[in-house]
Amino acid sequence: MRTIGLVLTLLLGSTLTGALDAQDVRPRLDRRVSPEVQRAVQRIAADAAVQGLPIDPLVQKAIEGAAKGVPADRVIAAVRALAGRLGQSMAAVREGGVSTPGGDVVEGGADALNAGLTGREVSDLVRVSRPPQDPTLTLRVAATLAALGVPAKQVLTLLQGLISDGRSQSDLLGLPGQVQTGVAQGATPAQAAAGLARAAGGLPPGRNPDWVPPGQRKPKHKP
Amino acid sequence: MKTFDLRVKQLLDGDLSLADLPPELRAEGEEALRLLAAVDRTAVTLSPALDTRVMAVVRRHAKSPVGRAWRWLNTPRDVELRLRVRPWAVWAGALAAAAALALLLGRAVPAPVPGVQARGGTRDSVFVRFVLYAPGARRVAVAGTFNQWDRGAALLAPAGTSGVWTTTLALPVGQHQYAFVVDGARWVVDPSAPAVDDGFGRRNSVVAVTAEGAHL
Amino acid sequence: MGVLLGLEGEATDAEVVRAVLAGDVERYAVLVRRYRDRFARYAARMLGSRDVAEDAVQDALVRAFDRLADCREPDKFGGWLFLILRNRCFAERRRNRREGRLPEDAAEALASPERSDGAMERREQARELELALGQLTPEQREAFVLKHVAGMPYEEIAQRTGATVASLKMRMHRAYDRLRELMKEYR
Repeated sequence: MRTIGLVLTLLLGSTLTGALDAQDVRPRLDRRVSPEVQRAVQRIAADAAVQGLPIDPLVQKAIEGAAKGVPADRVIAAVRALAGRLGQSMAAVREGGVSTPGGDVVEGGADALNAGLTGREVSDLVRVSRPPQDPTLTLRVAATLAALGVPAKQVLTLLQGLISDGRSQSDLLGLPGQVQTGVAQGATPAQAAAGLARAAGGLPPGRNPDWVPPGQRKPKHKP
Repeated sequence: MKTFDLRVKQLLDGDLSLADLPPELRAEGEEALRLLAAVDRTAVTLSPALDTRVMAVVRRHAKSPVGRAWRWLNTPRDVELRLRVRPWAVWAGALAAAAALALLLGRAVPAPVPGVQARGGTRDSVFVRFVLYAPGARRVAVAGTFNQWDRGAALLAPAGTSGVWTTTLALPVGQHQYAFVVDGARWVVDPSAPAVDDGFGRRNSVVAVTAEGAHL
Repeated sequence: MGVLLGLEGEATDAEVVRAVLAGDVERYAVLVRRYRDRFARYAARMLGSRDVAEDAVQDALVRAFDRLADCREPDKFGGWLFLILRNRCFAERRRNRREGRLPEDAAEALASPERSDGAMERREQARELELALGQLTPEQREAFVLKHVAGMPYEEIAQRTGATVASLKMRMHRAYDRLRELMKEYR
């Protein structure tokens, strides 16, 4: 029941925040950003809406830039870059087997891309996250682990191993905290993550870190 | 490489005795036991000065202002919200999940339960505590995706003269990015949270809020 | 320090932890005294040297103090401290490997003093085994040390290290074979 509740609340999150129309952009940006930024973001948002991409993150990024006192051209560049990542994420998520991705999973993929994972790695993570796993959650945890300094390939191995072991969503959500604990005790992020993989039994001792559980595709190397 | 028979390994594990082994494995079993017998089990005692050294460092850490503030944050308190170390890990209970289920089934949203609510809290939000150690700051706020990056919306309050600033906010379920704003102008990431590139040459901290609590 | 040893000896770990968290820093000395030697053998066997082990135990005790409020079950302080020490040992071993520290040095450092009753052969075998242990992976070595030096049952090792009993046995069985192979080479 808790797992269902968790999945539902994540879905609810997307219902509440994700479904912004391109027309909703203007009132949100009004008096928060300069007219120049507002015009540019409206155009970018309109293009994104046509592709079926979530608009809210673009609006948030523009407001954030303005709040931080960033010059207009840099704000616009950042919003455009984010739109690009969302598009890339959409393609990667579709490649991973989700034919009509919702806003949340596309955002999750964009976060993962921003943290340094490749499109292919995003697809791989989506592919292994069949129900009851939620690809949005997998991607968010992956992004957080990468943000903590765990190498991308290891993020994949760790998550794929835990998912194929049948671990719960709570277990996945707890990973970044455990990596941080390991780092606080003197390990590097990579060592902490490797320790978690071993402790979970997902990576037998002495095995090559590239080892993938039987029945899964081997993770592709970064070009 | 000639490996030990599985039964000999079980003998070493203590799951079998030598008598349990078939005659043809006895010799191998004895060889294995001889290997184990070579293990040096003598106790190792460390130098008596260890205690003194440890306590000397411990006293130093206890005296430092950061150490004091850190332990103040860490001390479990009997607060309704069960606030803990990091700026998250606060539990909203099953209420949020139940509300979510109700909404998705299309029924009327149940009325809020009195006593669970606080400043701005709703059914599907979780109380999250933000903490920053910033001695010498005159003003500390937290801004993020949950409050439109408004530098004035969520001010932290100083905890005495410890240099520690805190506030508790009700955050909706989902993933949030945020940063602290010190003295109205200096953007500072949360040192105990993961940080991501903000696209402007700086970094934002990240927290994921679910019905079960807040996670990194 | 003025500690009343008699009374201190009766305080549980949980009581001492709470006292320290409440501000009585000096009480931490009770935990230091209680645990300083308990894992010394484990650390020495993992790291191959009493001196290095002493540094590791000292670091672990200090870290445990710094993070004391993270100890969710204060009555299981020992187990929690063990994990901190364990992480420290693994980190040290990785550092050693990177710096090319040879297992032979380790075996020498741990050699028991010369025995006048002439138990030379036993000492020689112990040294060979120590050398061989140094060649195992850290996980294999740890499993072996905990089971056959510290005498822990698999269930307890599983609890302390977070591994499953099945994976521990797999590890151990590989270790047995590897040790057999290595000990043959030393003959």
